[in-house]
Amino acid sequence: MSQSLRPYLQCVRASLTAALALSDFASQTSERHNVPEIEAQSSPELLLNPLTISRNENEKVLIEPSVNSVRLSIRIKQSDEIEHILVHKFTRFLTQRAESFFILRRKPVKGYDISFLVCNAHTEAMLKHKLVDFIIQFMEEVDKEISEMKLFLNARARFVAESFLTPFD
Amino acid sequence: MSQLNYRTINIDVLDPESSVNFPMVTLLPPNLPPPETSSDAANVANQVRQLLRSGDSEGALRHVLDTAPLGGDDRAKEVHMAAVIDVLQGIRQSEMTRVLEGVCSGEGGSERADCLMKYLYKGMSSPGPSSGAQSPHKSMSPQSTGGFSQIQARNLGEGGGGQQMSVLLSWHEKLVELTGTGSIVRVMTDRRTV
Repeated sequence: MSQSLRPYLQCVRASLTAALALSDFASQTSERHNVPEIEAQSSPELLLNPLTISRNENEKVLIEPSVNSVRLSIRIKQSDEIEHILVHKFTRFLTQRAESFFILRRKPVKGYDISFLVCNAHTEAMLKHKLVDFIIQFMEEVDKEISEMKLFLNARARFVAESFLTPFD
Repeated sequence: MSQLNYRTINIDVLDPESSVNFPMVTLLPPNLPPPETSSDAANVANQVRQLLRSGDSEGALRHVLDTAPLGGDDRAKEVHMAAVIDVLQGIRQSEMTRVLEGVCSGEGGSERADCLMKYLYKGMSSPGPSSGAQSPHKSMSPQSTGGFSQIQARNLGEGGGGQQMSVLLSWHEKLVELTGTGSIVRVMTDRRTV
């Protein structure tokens, strides 16, 4: 792991562990409803101060905690246009299968590439430290995945170009 | 008036009893320090820079955290934050643990630790002042397609402010070692923002 990635992930881990202290909380606006307050935004006193953790301008994490839900948004590193396209395709692939990931949000928050929504039901059904581990592992893997995909793409493009240009040789 | 679609109006906002209109000021403690202006914050920043120049980095950090403008306006908070970032960047990596232990001990030590944690998160959420000057030529990637690109506002490249962020991240790591996650929880729940 690179030298500057470790404190970044460590910071996300500590902040997420602190933010994932959730409790059951029924909606104050409609009776017999129980909605994630961070999405409903129906009462300002239930939303806590959002935390931003950034490694540089293009790599950051936004944690928006509330009384019964936490929204975590990740901005994945994109150093050129190919990576931008790859990240878009990759996150699209994941969000289309959001129900098998449980905590994945179908639409990222504006300015970020992928969002997770953890509710109190999730922290009750799953182990909290495993949830944190999952997010951290995702963040570790996604950079690797994107750069690998970029290498494959370049290799394939070179092969295609070579075989296309052979007749003119 | 006739085109106005009444179904799209959020009527809860108009109801003073509604939970949307919860009076947030009631969550602030009564013993909030008096509001500060940006000139007060600039005075504090000058004192702190003098302390830092004279080599008393622990005293500088202690002073700048004790005088945080919790009740100030946005301008004062901005000026003060620049001072805090200067102090944090002025302390060497090898001295961090020693300085932190000094600052977080004694009377009001845990308040100072919480205040420092607030500034670390605030520093990471706002783009650094130095990165603004660098970004124009940094955003130009080496394989830039020049006139072909149709999408402008993408801001590719390594991203500025990496230096400042890594300083803040290593401070954060040291502070969490010292205070645990409790101080992060207090940053999230405290309505007295810096």
